[in-house]
Amino acid sequence: MRIVVCVKEVLDPDAVDNYVLHGKLVIGDDGVTLTQTSIPRLMNAYDEQAIEAALRLRDAGIDCTIDVVCVGLEPTAILRHAAAMGADEITIVPLDQAKLDGRGIATILAAYIKNKGGADLVLCGRQASDDDQGVVPALIGELLDAPVVTIARAVEIDGDQVRVTRVTPDGDEVVETSRPAVVTISNELGTPRYPTTMRTMKARKLTPVQATLESLSLSAAEVAPLVRVTRQYVSSVQGNCQFIDGATADEQASALVGVLRAERVIS
Amino acid sequence: MADDALLFCSFDSGRDGLPAGAEEVLTLARSVASARGVDLDWLVVGPMPAGVAEAAAVHGVSHVDHVDDPRLGEFLPDVVVAAIAGYCARQQPASLFFSQTFDARLVAPRVAARLGVGVVMNVVDLLATGEGLVATTTAYGGDTRVEYEIAGHAVFGVAGESILPEPAASPGAATPRSIAVELSGTRERIRTVKKARSEGPRLEEAQIIVAGGRGLQEAENYRLVEDLAAALGGLAGASRPIVDDGWTDSSHQVGLTGKITRPVLYIAAGISGASQHMVGCTAAKTLVAINTDSDAAIFKYARYGIVGDCVEVLPALTRAVKGG
Repeated sequence: MRIVVCVKEVLDPDAVDNYVLHGKLVIGDDGVTLTQTSIPRLMNAYDEQAIEAALRLRDAGIDCTIDVVCVGLEPTAILRHAAAMGADEITIVPLDQAKLDGRGIATILAAYIKNKGGADLVLCGRQASDDDQGVVPALIGELLDAPVVTIARAVEIDGDQVRVTRVTPDGDEVVETSRPAVVTISNELGTPRYPTTMRTMKARKLTPVQATLESLSLSAAEVAPLVRVTRQYVSSVQGNCQFIDGATADEQASALVGVLRAERVIS
Repeated sequence: MADDALLFCSFDSGRDGLPAGAEEVLTLARSVASARGVDLDWLVVGPMPAGVAEAAAVHGVSHVDHVDDPRLGEFLPDVVVAAIAGYCARQQPASLFFSQTFDARLVAPRVAARLGVGVVMNVVDLLATGEGLVATTTAYGGDTRVEYEIAGHAVFGVAGESILPEPAASPGAATPRSIAVELSGTRERIRTVKKARSEGPRLEEAQIIVAGGRGLQEAENYRLVEDLAAALGGLAGASRPIVDDGWTDSSHQVGLTGKITRPVLYIAAGISGASQHMVGCTAAKTLVAINTDSDAAIFKYARYGIVGDCVEVLPALTRAVKGG
């Protein structure tokens, strides 16, 4: 069976967070782009977990090919990482993702999957850590007319059935559907494997397969954005913290409890 | 019929007779409907929650449209998507609004795909500008705000935690209408094998939450968080890093990918204040932070702060609460 994993290259969210905390995030002249070249570019962490989910299916004895695909201008490094983790084929669709919206990206990925003759399972991260939108997997499901199951911590294949353990606000839920299906992976899946040095060395020489709008028989109009990002800025936080003094932890604690009781926050 | 009406869609029974986040989303959608001079309608999919009629009137809703079917009794994603898409094919509303619940994160983009319109999630604000709309969303786990420009209609997932519900200046007619949508041809492709069992009280509804992070230093110190939570009659929460490390399970995780809480009191112990966590607790009425680093971001959000080691301060607080 064929498993397609869709991945996105993002700016390291921890680095962005760090710059924001220190008031040093720089937004470019276009008012949108985060321009600091010191921020590493990584594979979206949820997508890396989606690759891990695919590899665990293979480990469980499922005979499968794992194809990893990315829409982006220069995602070669993250695709080689995918290959080092164990992906069989890596594909790049070299388009600027900043000029596409979720619909455009999903249209391209769905066309890629159809072009491959379909996939039994499409795995995606639950959302991208940059825009946090999380709409592409559901849109791919609609375009492929496949069921979509979100926020998985575990995925199993049993014959033509896909069994997914979902992390819901009420606890874990187990659902089943027939393949082909689209499943999104959450961080609860656990830490992705780290590639061996040997695999990393081997992957370094790999050149990703190229797909284009033309090779996917798509017109520019079909992927034209319906929504456009026009501005990005740092959310401001008003600080008015009153610090509770005390020579010891017990003194601080009694002082705080006193304040909270006086304000009737606690009884 | 105003075929350019804005539409709030709900498909959950929520709590206290209202779908989750209904009043916040209605407040936001009405501001756009007023700016445009168009109707705001409300589509209720499935069983009608008891408080809908009253809330609809208060929030200036023109029509309360009801699509019901025996198969809409519990949440079946394919059936719900088909019901909303079927309604839209018939009634031709303009933009659609969802309260961004766990299930709406899946339903909203699927409906957008069926309608062939754009979709924007995590919406915290929306402005009508001439012919278009500008949606403000959170990005990078809350570190930044991103504005999206939408030329025509779209589907919006509204994260209403920061929206203060306000009644309309004049009440709406809230005329009930029953809309028939043919669902017999829709096959649900997802089967629930094991239901999620919500055990005990939920963080989302807790009045008092004590949450711990990496500052607890080791897994067994999570007990200190639980002890203080118990002493205060509240619940224990956690930051994502310690959930990822297995110090407690994900049902305790607060933040963007965990629970969005709005308690009266939130005590953050050994939590640095990463945006991704703060998304889940900034709606707290009173936020208390305990951290060894006086420059930690959490103090920017906190009303009260203790600079100190939470491993010492938490048991001291438990003693102080019990002693009083």
